[in-house]
Amino acid sequence: MVEKTILEVEGLETSYDMIKALKGVSLSALSGKLTCILGPNGAGKSTLLFTLAGILDSDRGKVVFDGEDITNQKTSNLVEKGLALVPENRLIFPHLTVQENLLAGAYTRLAKERQKVEEDILAMYARFPVLKERSGQLGGTMSGGEQQMLAVARALMSKPKLLLMDEPSVGLAPMIVSEIFSIIKQLNEEGISIVLVEQNASKALEIGDYFYLLDQGKQIFGGSREAILKENIIKKAYLGESTG
Amino acid sequence: MEYIQISIDGILYGSSYSLIALGFSLVFGVMRRINLAYGSSLLLGVAIALWVENKLNISIIFFIPIVLFFCSLSNLYVERFCFAPHNTKAGVVVSMISSFAIWMQLDEISSQLLPDRTHSFPSLEISTFEFGGLFFRGDQILNIVIAFIIAAILFLAVYKTKYGIVLRAVSNSADTAKLMGCNTNLVNSLTFIVAGVIGGIAAFLVLSTESQVTPLFGFWCTLKGLVAMMIGGLGSLTGAFWGGLLLGLLEAHLSYQFGPISREITTFSILLIFLIIRPGGLMGVNIYKDLKSRDERI
Repeated sequence: MVEKTILEVEGLETSYDMIKALKGVSLSALSGKLTCILGPNGAGKSTLLFTLAGILDSDRGKVVFDGEDITNQKTSNLVEKGLALVPENRLIFPHLTVQENLLAGAYTRLAKERQKVEEDILAMYARFPVLKERSGQLGGTMSGGEQQMLAVARALMSKPKLLLMDEPSVGLAPMIVSEIFSIIKQLNEEGISIVLVEQNASKALEIGDYFYLLDQGKQIFGGSREAILKENIIKKAYLGESTG
Repeated sequence: MEYIQISIDGILYGSSYSLIALGFSLVFGVMRRINLAYGSSLLLGVAIALWVENKLNISIIFFIPIVLFFCSLSNLYVERFCFAPHNTKAGVVVSMISSFAIWMQLDEISSQLLPDRTHSFPSLEISTFEFGGLFFRGDQILNIVIAFIIAAILFLAVYKTKYGIVLRAVSNSADTAKLMGCNTNLVNSLTFIVAGVIGGIAAFLVLSTESQVTPLFGFWCTLKGLVAMMIGGLGSLTGAFWGGLLLGLLEAHLSYQFGPISREITTFSILLIFLIIRPGGLMGVNIYKDLKSRDERI
């Protein structure tokens, strides 16, 4: 079977005013696979995701999603094309109930397919039973792990082809982190392509298919799990000291 | 009997405050920003509408939609100039100050369009009626009914419809709403247009009750609307409605006790007392609690 590339990034450069955060990053993500982007603080991981999701504009480079050039397109267009971002720190809507958070996630589909949206919410409740229990509760009153599940479910409501996840483990207890990672793995096994940005490298190594390493805005490694485990320097620099 | 009559007058008069406060509250609720030019943009809308009416000599039935149209248009103008360019967190103060600047500009244009100190304004000519020894002004009854209906419609739209969810999502976090594919720019513009329509209704009802418009109307709207909103609770729609009625009631009683000159003094005294003992307003306190719990969690 020929593997299809869902996301192709070529020489991407992004800056915050004068400071260059990405200095030419190239990577590709295969359809149905889990691609992990690792690296220390300030490596440009979140900047990369923000640029992919259309929140930041790139200065140079090219992004091709599902065979279409999407460089510097608006977020609203990208969501409709099937790109969804689960932001760092969850960023659920604290004053909206769980159900309303899910509806907000289906924003691009609300007008056209209301009936389908309702069905999808029920499907989300089946997948995440805790959300069903809390459906009428305000998002801000839930625990961190529940908020993370809600953030994932909310992103899934837009029926994405590619899910971008920014540090889903941040600020969560180790047990909850394992639960979140098994959910990610399960979603991936169901056929959703995922690009995962993680600081918790050892956790990411357990579930990822392909890995890219970023350091100071540059991509310094790219390859499969076997390849990354062989690379001793990388192991020392990024995995040796990590916990969890 | 006298006190009942004063209370009724106060509440009925307060309903115009309610309407203006609803417009304020809608904008504050969605954008978490205060539009100081709100009253002035309503005055400009009214001024343009009166100017059109003078040129074309139209009847009151066509005059009302013209008022609403120009009020929302001038409100949209304020949004495009003061709020849209400064839509980051750092822009909160900038947009408030620039709305203050544009207030001056709008008032100046209005006074060019209405050069006299007072201008006559078409009246609805609804008669006063008596019930059980109490007097009710027909146009003010209409005012309170419309204020109630608009408050109810807004409340249902914001809390019970799917588009209300989008509105509240933008209010919670505009950046996150953008991630869901929401065009926050469009939501903000629409909010200002709706606030302009509500303000236009308020302006028409108030001015037709008084059958005149003065250059101070814009300032009056901004002040009373802002105070009513702050009494009711920042960003709370029901709070804005009740805050307006309460302000009207207190003003009526206090100015009856201490003379009509004390009316403005009482307005600000009430605001001051509220800011000291209940800074979140009647219904807005929970917002503070929620924000605190969210910040602690993150």
